[in-house]
Formats: sequence, C-alpha cells, structure tokens
Amino acid sequence: MRFLRVLGQVVFVLVVLFALQQLYLNMEYGFRQRGITLDFQFLEQRAQFDIKEGIAYSSNSSYWRALQVGLFNTIRVAASGIVLASILGLFIGVARLSTNWLVRNVARVYVELFRNTPVLIQIIFWYVAVILTLPLVQGEEASGFAFLTNRGGAVPWPRFHGESGPWGLWLLAALAVAAGAWAWRTRRSDRTGDPHHRILWGLGLFVLVAGVGYVATGGPLEIDAPEATRFGFVGGLQVSGEFAAVLLGLVFYTAAFIAEIIRGSILAVDKGQKEAAAAMGLSAFQQLRFVVLPQALRIAVPPINSQYLNLTKNSSLAAAIAFPDLASVSSTIINQAGRPFQILIIIMSTYLIMSLLISTVMNVLNRTVALRGARR
Amino acid sequence: MNPRLGQQEDVATVDVPESERAVETIPSREPLTPLDWLKVNLFPSPVNGVLTVLTAILTGWLTFAVLRWVLVTADWTVVRVNFRLFMVGRFPLEEVWRVWSVVYVAALLVGVTWGRTGRRMEWTRLKTIRRIVLGILGLLLLRYLVDSALVWGLTAAAAGTVLAGTALGRLAGRESRVMRRAVLWGWLLAFPFVIVILQVADGVGPALWNGLLLNVLAGVVGIVLSFPIGIVLALGRRSTFPAVRVVCVGLIEFVRGAPLYTWLLFGVFLLPFLLPPGVILPQLIRVMIMFTLFSSAYVAEIVRGGLQGVHHGQYEAARALGLSTTRMMALIILPQALRNTIPAMISHFISLFKDTSLLAIIGFIDVLRVARVASASAEFVGTSKQTLLFAGFIFWIVAFSMSRWSQRLERRLGVGER
Repeated sequence: MRFLRVLGQVVFVLVVLFALQQLYLNMEYGFRQRGITLDFQFLEQRAQFDIKEGIAYSSNSSYWRALQVGLFNTIRVAASGIVLASILGLFIGVARLSTNWLVRNVARVYVELFRNTPVLIQIIFWYVAVILTLPLVQGEEASGFAFLTNRGGAVPWPRFHGESGPWGLWLLAALAVAAGAWAWRTRRSDRTGDPHHRILWGLGLFVLVAGVGYVATGGPLEIDAPEATRFGFVGGLQVSGEFAAVLLGLVFYTAAFIAEIIRGSILAVDKGQKEAAAAMGLSAFQQLRFVVLPQALRIAVPPINSQYLNLTKNSSLAAAIAFPDLASVSSTIINQAGRPFQILIIIMSTYLIMSLLISTVMNVLNRTVALRGARR
Repeated sequence: MNPRLGQQEDVATVDVPESERAVETIPSREPLTPLDWLKVNLFPSPVNGVLTVLTAILTGWLTFAVLRWVLVTADWTVVRVNFRLFMVGRFPLEEVWRVWSVVYVAALLVGVTWGRTGRRMEWTRLKTIRRIVLGILGLLLLRYLVDSALVWGLTAAAAGTVLAGTALGRLAGRESRVMRRAVLWGWLLAFPFVIVILQVADGVGPALWNGLLLNVLAGVVGIVLSFPIGIVLALGRRSTFPAVRVVCVGLIEFVRGAPLYTWLLFGVFLLPFLLPPGVILPQLIRVMIMFTLFSSAYVAEIVRGGLQGVHHGQYEAARALGLSTTRMMALIILPQALRNTIPAMISHFISLFKDTSLLAIIGFIDVLRVARVASASAEFVGTSKQTLLFAGFIFWIVAFSMSRWSQRLERRLGVGER
C-alpha cells in the first residue's frame, strides 16, 4: 500500500513534468520557426519608445530599464492606492453603520454603486470623462499657485534649496526623541493609569526638535511653486492625468469593498461589547476607538489583505489609459520585441513577489493585532 | 486604560418608570410620527444634526448636478442609436432569433430557480411603491431605447416567461425532487445549448458574438468550465499525497498571484506557441481558456473554504460506514461543502462578469469596446460620458441584481448559521 502511494505520486509528477516539457518544446519549436530565441539578451536592446513619467528614462534606455520604470510606477500607484482606499473604506464602513439615517444610506448607495461596476470602466471614466474634460493647457506659460488641467495637476511643494544632510540628522534625532517620549508615556500610563497623551507628547516633541533644527540649520526648505511651460509643468508636486485617473479608479472601487469588510467585522463583534462600553460611560467615539474597532480589525485583516492584493493586481488595468505601469510597459515591449515568453515570465513573477510581500506584511500585522488582543 | 473614561457625567440614562422595570416585554412598535422619525434618525444630537445638514447639502448638490446632467444637459441619442450594438454588436439581424431563443431559455431557468429558491415577496406599502416606481422607470428607459414594436413584444414575452417560470417553480414547491433535477439539468445543459443554437444551421461565428452577448458568454463559460476544474484543484490541495498537493498549491497560487490582464496577454501572445504545431485555436477560444484557468484557481480556493467548513465528524462517520474515499467525497463531503460556498460562488461570478470588461483592452468588441467606438464616431463626438455610463449601467444592473439574489439565497440557506 505504501509502495503504491509512492509509485502513484512518482507517476503523477512524471506526467506533470512530461506535459510541461511538451509545452516547452512546442513553444521552442514555434519560436525557432520565427527566429526568436528564448534567452534574455534582448533586454539590453534600446527600447525606442517614450515613457512620460517615473524614474530617469529616455527612449535610448534599454528594455530592462523600461521594465524598471514600469515597476516603479506600479508600486507608486499601488502604494498610494492602498493607503487612500484604507482610509476612505474605513470611513464609509463606519458610516454604513451610523445611527444617522442619511449618512447610513449615502454610504450604502456609494458601496452599491462602486462595487457593482467594473473597475476598468471606472478608471476609463475618470480619465475620459473627468480628467480630460478639465481645462486645456494651451501651451502658454503661466505661473500660479496650483494647476488642475487635462494634462495633470501640480501643487506647491517644499523643496531643499541648500544641503539636506544637516537637517536630515535633526529630523532623525527628533524622531528618536518622539519615539522615546511615546514609549515613556505608554509605560507610565500602564503603571499609574494616568492618561498617556502619547500622540500629543510625541508629536509636540517632534515638531519642537525639528523646528529648532530647522532654524539652527538656517531654514533649508523653500516652497516650490509650479509653473506651466509649453512642455508641461516645472516645479512643485506634479501628478499626471493618467496617474490620477488610475488612482481615483482603484481607490473608489476598492474602498467600497473595504467598507463592506469593515462593516461586516464591526457587526461580527459581539453586541455586548458595545453595550458594556456604553455602560461604562464611554462616548460613541470612544466605544468605537477603544472597544469595537480593535476587535473588528482583527477579523478584518485577512479579507482586507486580499483586497490589497486585488488593488495591486487591478493596477495593471492602467494599460487601458496608457499609464506606463508594469503591465502597460510590458505589453508595449511584447508588441515591439515579440518575446512574450520572457516578458510574461518576468512580470508574472514580479506581481507574484509583490503579492507575497503584501501578504507577509499583512501577516505580521495580523499577528500583532491578534497578540495585543490576547494580552489585554 | 484611561481612568477618566469611566467617570464621565454624560452617561446616557433611560428614564423607565419603576413599575415597568420588573418584566421585560417586547418593545411595542408604535409607528413614529414623521417628526419623531426625523428626531431619532437625523437629529439625535447637535453634532449628528450638523452631520446630517452637511451630508444633505453635499448629496443634495451632487444628486441635483447629476440628475440635471442626465435628464437635461446630456444628449443620449448616441446610446439610443447604438443600443443594438451594445446588446449584440454586429450579430446579423436575420440571425438574432438565435440570441432571443437563448434569452427565453435563460428567462425560463431564472424564473423557475427564483420561484423555487426565493421566499414569497413581501408587499409592504413602501416596497410596493418602490417596485412600481422602479417598474415605471424601467419601462420608460426601454421606451426610450427601443422603438421597434417587435422587440417590445419579444421583451414583454421574455418578462412573461420569467413570471411563468416563477409560478411554475413556486407551484412545484421547494421540496419537489423532479423540479430540482429539472432545474439542475436545465442549467447544466443550457451552456452547450447556447453554443449549439448559435452555431447550428449555418450559424454565426464567434467573431460576430459581440456586445453584452460576448460578456455574458465569456462570464458563463468561465464559471461553468472552471467549476469542475476548481473542485479537482481544491481536492488536490487537500490530498494526502504531498506531490499532488504541491502541484495544486503551486498552480493555484501562481494563477492567483498574477493579474487577469497578464493572463489574457498570455492567452493572446503565448498560448498559440504552447499548442502542438499545426493546432490553431481562434482568439476567442484562447481567451476563454484563460478566463477558465483564472477562474478555476479562485473557485478552488472557495471550494477549499467550503471543505474546511465541513465538520470532521462527517468524515469519520462516512469512514465508519465503510465508504471509500471517492464515495465519501461525492456523497457526504462535497454536497455539504458546496452548499456552504454558494454565496461566495455568486460573488466570484459577479466579479468574473465584471472582469469580462477586460476583453475590450485586448481587442474584442464587448460592451465597453462598443461604448468607446460609439463615442468615437464623427457623428457623436464628445459623448464618451454617456456611452461609458451606459456600459457601466449595464454591468451594474446585472451585478447588482445578482448580489441581491445572493443575499436572499444566503438568508434562505442560513449559511453561517450552522
């Protein structure tokens, strides 16, 4: 019997390997017919297409560099999307359970509207129907406080005009002081039961030390106002129209799902917890902040993790509006260099690695949330 | 914990007369006067009142702006002219009876299923009013979009078929075994029937299956074919053979790890080379293979969840009865596991259906693509808002009604209550 088990598995593995080998041989044959090799040499070749945003790149750069730019843009949009969608989702999820009839129903309409429409249509809608209908940049030069045009937006943003090093050290010191104060307040509060006010203390000390440092190093920052030139914006913080559209689409869509998860998790917390908190005289906000949410978040972390993964993967839909993310750049390269095997291997593994990283972070978070719950 | 938290003065107190405290009775449901309703639901406290006013201003303004745009500013001619394109694309007019027969079969099946699984509809006054208003709005919309009397008649007949199916399903009752079998087989055979009816007697080739028809077909093919594959993968993942487990886990996680878009690129660019030399599959078939593969991995995870929800006593009991592994799975475990997965399956189907909009960016003429093309014609420049909104609306109607149905089903099955 034992022998049969082992034999069966060996046969199974052999069959799988044989099938894979057949597929590979078919592919190699097909590509050889077209004179395409299966190595990765072509990544060194010049890309010869333009990418409008991201890290340093020109059409003289290699395909490899183009992929890096794409990855950078994907991470940029996914990371900002995750943060914004979480915040919006939390608010709407809580609003969904509000005692206020109007707030509750507005949140409900929001969720039903955005959850049941394809995110691809939402992204294209943001781009075509919102961003592209903003005022045109006429190719004229202008300077001003902020710009919002069909080519993107720009707002004033602080910029170093001198050396950034010395004040950077001050900032690190400020961070250390704030962390120390936070730990001290927490410990003291745990021991004596006094209110800890650790946010007040930490933030106050941080601002104080950083401010002293800022003056001491002679004010290294200046506000950089954007200017519109014939070729786009110069200075300030710039956001391209494509980036904004992808971000808006992803955030509004994913927030609807996160809101439903938050709502479900809050409902899953035993009603007695809230009643007990109310009986202890906690205000509605305190009930939520100290009693209900900590327990609800523990339930919410795993499903929210899968929403984060979905958001990251959905960012590949940026290809539809030519935002140069990883998927978009890759499909350009496939069309141009005709090496789908190599490119797909690279990007699929990249997305897989990103998914694994997010899951790892969320697992760590899950453990801390669960532990704190178990301790108190 | 902050000790001051417990010492606040403004503890909510309820003034209950001493005489009423001893026995707890069910609170009487005296109808609130409109003023009381406002007080309880909109202005329970000053802060809440401010919140209400702010939300009211914001949503009021938004609703007004949107409604004014939809009803007054926007010209919807582009949608009206291209309505047929949205539905069936370039499907030849003289062959459209094939699509209609599919619609009727689907209408009957939906009706019977609804009648069997649904509870009797409640007709409270509010719900009645809401349904009548929705019905009138739907009729007005259809009146605007369709001006052929024939299509009107056929649509009305389809609605009638749903009603007749519902009546039939309700008449047979929930316990009827015959009806249960019939519905199950009906759904299973519907899919081959659709393919046959579209192809039979000099039928219409896949290149002309456009518009909503394409989205629905791709979604249905994806879910129907991925169902058995997903079950096999899920069982493989829980297999006692480590080699089988590793292969299944690897496949599931790799498929789920990459976005659907990259899998579709795979289907378009790489899959032709993986096939044996000489074998050529049409683009649509290749893409449907990718949809199926993608969906299978998700179905596998859903089924795994269902399997984990089956109490291990069930396994032991089946073993004690002397059932073989296959019989135990097929007769005892899977029926229970699959029952638990119905809501998750429906929401997976909804998301797969929404994902079929990706067909547009790899060159197929689906609803989204029709929307883009329609507003690109010289005649209708600058109408992309209208066409995109309409495409979104089509998806929304389908997805929303399915999610409502799923909630209903969930309540009936009492999933999570056992």
